[in-house]
Amino acid sequence: MSGQLSRIQAAFQHRMLSGADGLEPYLAEGGHIGVYDHAYRARLQEILAGDFPALHSLMGDEAFGQVINGYLDAHPSRRRSVRWLGAALGDWLRETAPWSAHREAADMAAFEWALGLAFDAPDAPVVAQADLMATAAESWPGLRFGFHPALTVISLHHDVTGFQQAVTGEREPEAAPEPLDRPASWAIWRDHDSLIAMFRRLEPDEAAMLDNARAGADFSVLCDTLSFGADSDDAAMRAAGLVLGWVQSGWVSNLNGDAA
Amino acid sequence: MEPRRDSLSGFGLGLRTQHYPAILEEHDGRAEGVDWFEIISENYIDVGGAPRRNLMRIREHYPMVMHGVSLSIGGTDPLDMDYLAGLKRLIDMVEPALVSDHLCWTGVHGINLHDLLPLPFTLETVRHVAERIARVQDYLGRHILIENASTYTAFAADEMSEWEFVTEIAERADCHILLDVNNIYVSAFNHGFQALDYLAGVPAGRIKQIHLAGHSHEGDYIIDTHDHPVPDPVWELYGRAIERLGPVPTMIERDDNIPPFEELVRELQQARALSEAALHKREAAQ
Ligand SMILES: [Fe+2]
Repeated sequence: MSGQLSRIQAAFQHRMLSGADGLEPYLAEGGHIGVYDHAYRARLQEILAGDFPALHSLMGDEAFGQVINGYLDAHPSRRRSVRWLGAALGDWLRETAPWSAHREAADMAAFEWALGLAFDAPDAPVVAQADLMATAAESWPGLRFGFHPALTVISLHHDVTGFQQAVTGEREPEAAPEPLDRPASWAIWRDHDSLIAMFRRLEPDEAAMLDNARAGADFSVLCDTLSFGADSDDAAMRAAGLVLGWVQSGWVSNLNGDAA
Repeated sequence: MEPRRDSLSGFGLGLRTQHYPAILEEHDGRAEGVDWFEIISENYIDVGGAPRRNLMRIREHYPMVMHGVSLSIGGTDPLDMDYLAGLKRLIDMVEPALVSDHLCWTGVHGINLHDLLPLPFTLETVRHVAERIARVQDYLGRHILIENASTYTAFAADEMSEWEFVTEIAERADCHILLDVNNIYVSAFNHGFQALDYLAGVPAGRIKQIHLAGHSHEGDYIIDTHDHPVPDPVWELYGRAIERLGPVPTMIERDDNIPPFEELVRELQQARALSEAALHKREAAQ
């Protein structure tokens, strides 16, 4: 659509995003355009502070404010719900200097974002333990797994979970997150009954197997990814045990690999 | 065009997560003094888990209305059909008595500024908005309500008053109006018009819901902050509105500085009492 309305909106938005001039000629005299200027950043800053309380606490007011300003410049919101505003914050922190040198910040953002998803991701069915147990032995090799939308798996360089739990529990964190010897994976999900967000650290072999399962590998391939040398029976036992754990935790939505 | 649903009357509150425990646990989902709740649509579109479960538990006991903040009906980007599809899914789930959004725009070029931004009051805008409302109503299969927003700037191109603008759009689109009495007060102060002229100028038959709220006085302008109780001049304007309009479902919006549930229920009693008094006056005058 061309015309005055679209020119006004383009100039208005340009001003809000970058402070650019160009709107003034369109405005009537005596208004208070500064109210809009101020409200844009203030509102989004408040939203993100609410979505990332532990990151805020970890970085302090000043650095957090700088982070949010830089992030909003790089990622103006493209979603209708402000719920999704922080979706790229973890990746942005990991890739953007000077924050990329403080990997615990990206780790914390990723963890808090995953907790948020666990809280309100869409509902989906969960496979009952009995359904898994009722699967005939000869069908197991071909099983594929569709996962619940509330399940997220993230790889972290720091164990940020204790710090985050302290902040949201309104306790003083005992120490800054410690770097790990090597990156480790965490699963974050929603408990099916209580609807509370849960998390646990994954052993490296479980993390690798879960990655493959989420990429669509069937059970026979998952067994191969567990390195038990020549003993494929042990691998199958371990793999079956892990799958049972996933089902018990409510991570699995179906046994045919469809997206939930 | 309206499918069968709860008809709305009485007095409501904006549903806020802080009040879930009071509503669900202390009152077992049946708090006295509140006839219905308004939800912010965006907070529940394609959402599961506890937010959805709590919403539907409260819905079992109360009529609801849905209030959107990002339709961007005045925006010059194409209508966002994904958003409308999500809105429709939520409508099917909640079965709201009313569905509303704001007479504003929220962003262009695919960007959402998450604010209710002002429109120039021109014939070009009237045509643009009315045509889009009509398409939204066709798509949803029901009337929508359009709410007057608080504004802090006007445009050099303005060709009419805000009430003429609202009226012209509502008539052309055949839509309903959510009259925010606080927003009238705020904009009247900010732009120097008479709030009573506004009240007298809008089409009474199209007004299906009223918002009340508090604001922040900044000296030479007022900001629509929804962080205070409804102040006296807004109550007074509300009384005048009911005298003119007759009974209209009315609610209080509180988005910041949120007090305990009981306190808002008490504030809502004030709206009931005032509305009743205004209806008596109206009867006496007829
Ligand atoms: Fe309102």
